[in-house]
Amino acid sequence: MEEVYVEDFMSPGCVGCPAVKAMLEELSDELECELIIEEVDITVDATRAAQYGIMSVPAVAINGILKFVGLPDRKELKDAIIEELEG
Amino acid sequence: MPSDSKDKRIGVFICHCGKNIAGGVDIEALLRSTREIPGVKFIAENRYSCSEDGQIDIQNAIQDQELDRVIIAACAPSLHLMTFQRCGESAGIEPSFVDLIDIRKWTVHGNPEKVDPDEALERSKKLIKQAVKRMSLKRVIPQVVVKTETSVLVIGGGVAGLEAALDLADKGYEVNLVERLPTIGGKMALIYKVFPTNDCAPCILAPKTAYANIHPGINLLTYSEVTAVEGYIGNFSVKVTRKPRYINEDSCTGCGLCVEKCPQKVIDSVYSAGIGERKAIYIPYDQAIPKKAVIDDENCLYMKTGACRLCEDECPTDAIDFDQESRTIELKAGAIIVATGFDEYNPTEKTEYGYDRYNNVITQYQLARILDIDGPTKGKLLRPSDGKEPQNIAMIQCVGSRDENTNEYCSSICCMYALKHAQIIREMVLPDTEIYICYIDMRTAGKNFEAYYRRTRELGINFIRGRPGEIIEETDTKNLIMKVEDPDLGRLLNLEVEMVVLSCATLPSEGTEQLSGILGTALDENGFYQEVHPKLRPVETNVRGIYICGAAQGPKDIPDSIVQAKAAASCVDGELRKGEIKLPEFMVKTTGPDKDR
Repeated sequence: MEEVYVEDFMSPGCVGCPAVKAMLEELSDELECELIIEEVDITVDATRAAQYGIMSVPAVAINGILKFVGLPDRKELKDAIIEELEG
Repeated sequence: MPSDSKDKRIGVFICHCGKNIAGGVDIEALLRSTREIPGVKFIAENRYSCSEDGQIDIQNAIQDQELDRVIIAACAPSLHLMTFQRCGESAGIEPSFVDLIDIRKWTVHGNPEKVDPDEALERSKKLIKQAVKRMSLKRVIPQVVVKTETSVLVIGGGVAGLEAALDLADKGYEVNLVERLPTIGGKMALIYKVFPTNDCAPCILAPKTAYANIHPGINLLTYSEVTAVEGYIGNFSVKVTRKPRYINEDSCTGCGLCVEKCPQKVIDSVYSAGIGERKAIYIPYDQAIPKKAVIDDENCLYMKTGACRLCEDECPTDAIDFDQESRTIELKAGAIIVATGFDEYNPTEKTEYGYDRYNNVITQYQLARILDIDGPTKGKLLRPSDGKEPQNIAMIQCVGSRDENTNEYCSSICCMYALKHAQIIREMVLPDTEIYICYIDMRTAGKNFEAYYRRTRELGINFIRGRPGEIIEETDTKNLIMKVEDPDLGRLLNLEVEMVVLSCATLPSEGTEQLSGILGTALDENGFYQEVHPKLRPVETNVRGIYICGAAQGPKDIPDSIVQAKAAASCVDGELRKGEIKLPEFMVKTTGPDKDR
């Protein structure tokens, strides 16, 4: 099965972050791939966020490419993952 | 891409960190489990990966084994990721393909996250496996080169902000120095003398404030606040709101005639710490920079009732402008330095000490203003209740500091300023007044501080190693009565004194939380600005291009504030001096001037 690595950048006080987490969990069940999701708390690992240039959360990087800063639309998120699979 | 993830040549290096990691996790077991992870082509262990030998080993392995991805299982990325990225880059690996993961936090003694060796092994295995998977699928983070602004924003005009601004302006940067209050100088201008030299604070500060005022590279924006920041390092856009002084700054000569004429007196809570008064139109103090008047619109009679305008009649340069309004200006900045300082803890909630209930209980900041020969009492130390010279004074340390009910941290400067005030009173103000300092520990760790402490003892100041549980005011005399247990003497002391001075905690300055929200910078558990790493990167924040210095980062004295200010200025120079900078493309597109193209 094809694999996609998702870094889900969040912080404890972030309002939109739980929604991104929930979307990713749903897509993990829905898509025919192995979606590896790593939740990265930017208050703990600010250096990782800085490498991508992330200045606010939620933010999502897929296979090392930062795709979204801010709350993504569910379809946009799904399409971005599929794009990586097909890439 | 997933299709070529199997082709990656990943090397994993497990660091012993001496015994910091090796003493808390079974390295052999970790090596065995790592060998079994699909995709790992090479594995090695180092005693110290970050040492010169360790880095050479990594570089040799990259070349000999033709590695294209490297994972170092060692310490926090904030500590050494850049070190290893440089190491990898010089051996031909793209920096974003070098990863540092922290397994040391679970093994090192003293770390609150330390776990037992079995748990550390399981967690380390999982983290390495996760990193291998991440690196095998990761693509290079696209970077672009952008030009950087030559201007810098410094927020806060106290000694730290001034030092940073002057350093940068002398290097040729254009500095916008934003200060919330009507004058620069900060707390240092108001503490009369400084330890451990007992220099007059304004005497050593005034040359800096005066130089900042005339420096062609510094634009002073007093009575102003930063209200919005967008962008990224090299290209920040900043909005600054300038509050109305109701004075035309270009015309005002600072002559003070308006102040003399103003009929409205108010308690001065800022520059006289609530001890003295000022007028509704005022110049903060004689050495204020800029020396311009400001109208307090909440207390001005004309603003409140529509009648008066005496200041306008008196002003010889027609500088009064009641129609002035708040306005917002926009600035560019390549980098930002935050030097917003501290505020003194308000001890009212420590009801056992009676502050705000007993007139003769004051704080050290109030005492500093009283002792100042240019302060509200012109240097005369008199009891607030009856204007008598106090025959005895007790100072109580750690009020709101090292206290689980308020702030658990040590405020760092209170021991020294208590000693300073005790010396000033004994030597310059009231030599016969008995002084007691009630303390937990005396912390005098700076250069020449211990000698200063010893000298204070030699002056006959009484040190009591204990603090009162409660202060009671004697109704008739307004004297203050307390019981203090001194373990050194092994007995309970009954003290009756005529004044009490509370050595209060150092807090993040008012507005810190709001400003950090505007800047996107993190705060620590005590509300001060969070540095990237407390030892190796103490003036950098989580936002590249925004730096911190002075008490905004945590309680500290003037020498340490100066050191940090110079460090922050040096960091800014290091980032901006080339005139261009390489940044993640996504950040530039989404947060910069090109974001909508």
